[in-house]
Amino acid sequence: MSAETTLGGSKWFDVLKRVPPWVSHRASAVWFLPLAASLCTLPSFASGYAMTLAVEVMIAGVFASGINLLTGYTGLVSLGQAMFLGLGGYGIAIGTALLGWPLWVSAPVTLVAVAAIAAAIGAICTRTRGVEFLLITLAFSQMFYGAAIKLRWTNGSDGMSGIPRPDLSLLGVNADSPSTFYYYVLAVAVFALVLLWRIVNSPFGSILIGIRENERRMMAMGYAVANYKIGSFALAAMVCAVAGILQSQYTYFVNPDSMSWQASGEGVLMVIIGGANVILGPFVGAAVFVVVKQALSLITDEYHLFFGIFFMLVVAFFRGGVLGAINTLIGKRR
Amino acid sequence: MSALEIRNLRKAFGGLQVISDLDLRVPSGQRHAVIGPNGAGKTTLFNIITGWQPPTSGEILIQGIPVQQGRPDLVTRGGLSRSFQKNMLLESVTVLENLRVACQAFHASRHSMFRSCRSFSDVVRKAQDAAEQMHLDNVLQRNVNELSYGQKRQLEVAIALCAEPRILLMDEPAAGTSPDERANLIRLINGLSSELTILLVEHDMDVVFAICDVITVLSYGKVLATGTKAEIQSNPRVIEAYLGQHHA
Amino acid sequence: MQLFLVQLLNGVQLSMLVFLLAVGLTLIFGLMNILNLAHGAFFTMGAYFGLVVANKTGSFWLALLIGPLLPFVAGFALQFFVLQPLAQRGRSTHLDLALLTFGLLFATAGAVEYIYGSAFHSIATPDFLKGRVALLGIEYPLYRLFIITVGVAIALALVLVIDRTLVGAKLRAGVDNREMVTALGININVLFALVFGFGSALAGFAGVVSAPVMSVYSNMGIGIVVTTFVVVVVGGLGNLKGSFYASLIVGMTDTFAQAFLPEAELFAIYALLIVVMIFRPQGLFGAAGRIA
Repeated sequence: MSAETTLGGSKWFDVLKRVPPWVSHRASAVWFLPLAASLCTLPSFASGYAMTLAVEVMIAGVFASGINLLTGYTGLVSLGQAMFLGLGGYGIAIGTALLGWPLWVSAPVTLVAVAAIAAAIGAICTRTRGVEFLLITLAFSQMFYGAAIKLRWTNGSDGMSGIPRPDLSLLGVNADSPSTFYYYVLAVAVFALVLLWRIVNSPFGSILIGIRENERRMMAMGYAVANYKIGSFALAAMVCAVAGILQSQYTYFVNPDSMSWQASGEGVLMVIIGGANVILGPFVGAAVFVVVKQALSLITDEYHLFFGIFFMLVVAFFRGGVLGAINTLIGKRR
Repeated sequence: MSALEIRNLRKAFGGLQVISDLDLRVPSGQRHAVIGPNGAGKTTLFNIITGWQPPTSGEILIQGIPVQQGRPDLVTRGGLSRSFQKNMLLESVTVLENLRVACQAFHASRHSMFRSCRSFSDVVRKAQDAAEQMHLDNVLQRNVNELSYGQKRQLEVAIALCAEPRILLMDEPAAGTSPDERANLIRLINGLSSELTILLVEHDMDVVFAICDVITVLSYGKVLATGTKAEIQSNPRVIEAYLGQHHA
Repeated sequence: MQLFLVQLLNGVQLSMLVFLLAVGLTLIFGLMNILNLAHGAFFTMGAYFGLVVANKTGSFWLALLIGPLLPFVAGFALQFFVLQPLAQRGRSTHLDLALLTFGLLFATAGAVEYIYGSAFHSIATPDFLKGRVALLGIEYPLYRLFIITVGVAIALALVLVIDRTLVGAKLRAGVDNREMVTALGININVLFALVFGFGSALAGFAGVVSAPVMSVYSNMGIGIVVTTFVVVVVGGLGNLKGSFYASLIVGMTDTFAQAFLPEAELFAIYALLIVVMIFRPQGLFGAAGRIA
């Protein structure tokens, strides 16, 4: 009984594979420049609230981009990526608060540690596929979540606070100010985006895509597929960890909730909404997600219930994400 | 040294003996077909040769080197490339990309993570040559799901050729093709280098006779006979096996 | 020695509870290739519904009998009205459906929290099963023995039904060849929905059964369902026998770790998972590993 069998002739993956319409070159020209311009000048015209939303969207976008590399591009659907988000945050917290290292030491050390842990976990998880992979990544993230709650030297479920923002005094600015922090996050997000874009268009990226398309054929071509899957897993984890670092710097705080299965689910939903296997997809998904979440929380306390329903509807009906659905409504255009 | 040598191969699935005491020697440059009724073990044989399934016992040697089980990628590295009975293509990318990825497999550029694929023009050129060889150069930019079935079968073989193999295994290359597509495929395969050893599994006798010099007949996992077309057609055991099939 | 025996029995008891959950999940997956990530919700649903029945009627046995009915209906409805139509229209594949149930997990977690709040409840042990029993030199709670008996009984019944009866044969046929079975006049959609309902009911049953020994609270499904996932992967997804033995192994591991190595308790079952995945990624009883 293989989890790879398909129904109705569609590949087991279609919810994650369609390219949304707003990516076409014509569309890009229309929105890219204005968007870039507004992003660069946001603090000068936006309210404090809008800026915090923007920061949240960018951090979520980085997280979702990490998931996208693994899920959208390599085809490995994981429900445990939040463990790396949390590990990033905790790594910085442990490094700066417990070990007293400066940020420019803790951050790289955290990323290297996450890469190593992810490679080890990845080596185990990638021995499975499809639904089993889903379960095992979920189980691992629950393990880390449980550990975070139990461990006393990381304050258990209370979490760790006092995480410092980067010391940008060399540039003459203070990262504690919202607009400075905004630019910091923007810079990191853009850097991550460009990096991912390069990776995805590189030979390595083409191999990941090939693995998603037809893993057996890739092996038959001569690729040591297992190694590439582990590599993708580790890379994705590092990107998620970067988001975790940003997140903990944003709130000056980290707690086990950042590693929960809910967080993983939110990330996957962002990828599905924005359109997987498109470089900007996760950021669009993050934007939609953050806005909808804010709107929901204004209307009701029962965020989880409606979020769950929203998630189900998106998966069930919106092939290509919410934007793909809009595309279908206004007629296909390529 | 034969290009491909199989010694005392046995394969059992639980209590079912699928392949028994199979010996096969394919010299370099030979065009060899493996035929037999359904269930004779042909695809299992291919899966074992290419490392997708382990044999119960026996040896497979590719250019004198034993095959490492469970590592189809190493089998390809060892010089043996395979095309599949069901199309195994990278569905949502272009024909060129399929071939480019295939040609990239043994190229140093495959480790590159930050340079664009297109910047490695020698890989792209190899892909274009492979396309030309299988008459796919006019559909290079098409997505795979836009191709006709016959074109997909051509691509299936072209991808296998990208690995620059010494031995090419083709699992029913003409399966499901129309007469025109079949004739086209035969012509293309016959146009391949004469140094290339070809091992073919086929049901379609026209394809077999058009391409191959030597034929091995399998029945219930055992070799019934090996020989030229004439020898096979006059072999009493072969006739009995096939006529027996008819009656059953 | 006595402590060891008590822990052994505790381990078997936990195993049986986990088995009831795992078997539903793996049955549904093995027969229909659907992974219901919200399976824990049926566990919770059964427990709460049983609680309601017990409070209204004062009878544990009625709670046990009626409690699983709500999850049965919910599971049937989910499969028949949501999952099946989506799968058949070709809009969703197995992975899509698994993601769908993940969304359901969110929704049910929120719904339970909303309806019941975070208070802890309990169902009283029935008088008949109260007290302890002298067994092999120790005194062991009768109710826990009851759980063990029930678990084993259900395991045997399942093996009998799936392998030996016509219903089981129809199910297995339906998975292999849908069109043929439908052509033979068997309504495979109803059959699948019944199985899904049954698997969910088993989870609900486990919920009611566990109530006297564990608390009933809104997050009760989450903890045990992750253990269930580990069991199902270790045993081999879709393999009934596998889930039985894996439940025993995991239940024992967890109980003994809790008793003798409390710090490592959490990691014990994950360590088990890791070891199994390294040496047999398809699970202990799963079908021989595909290379890709």
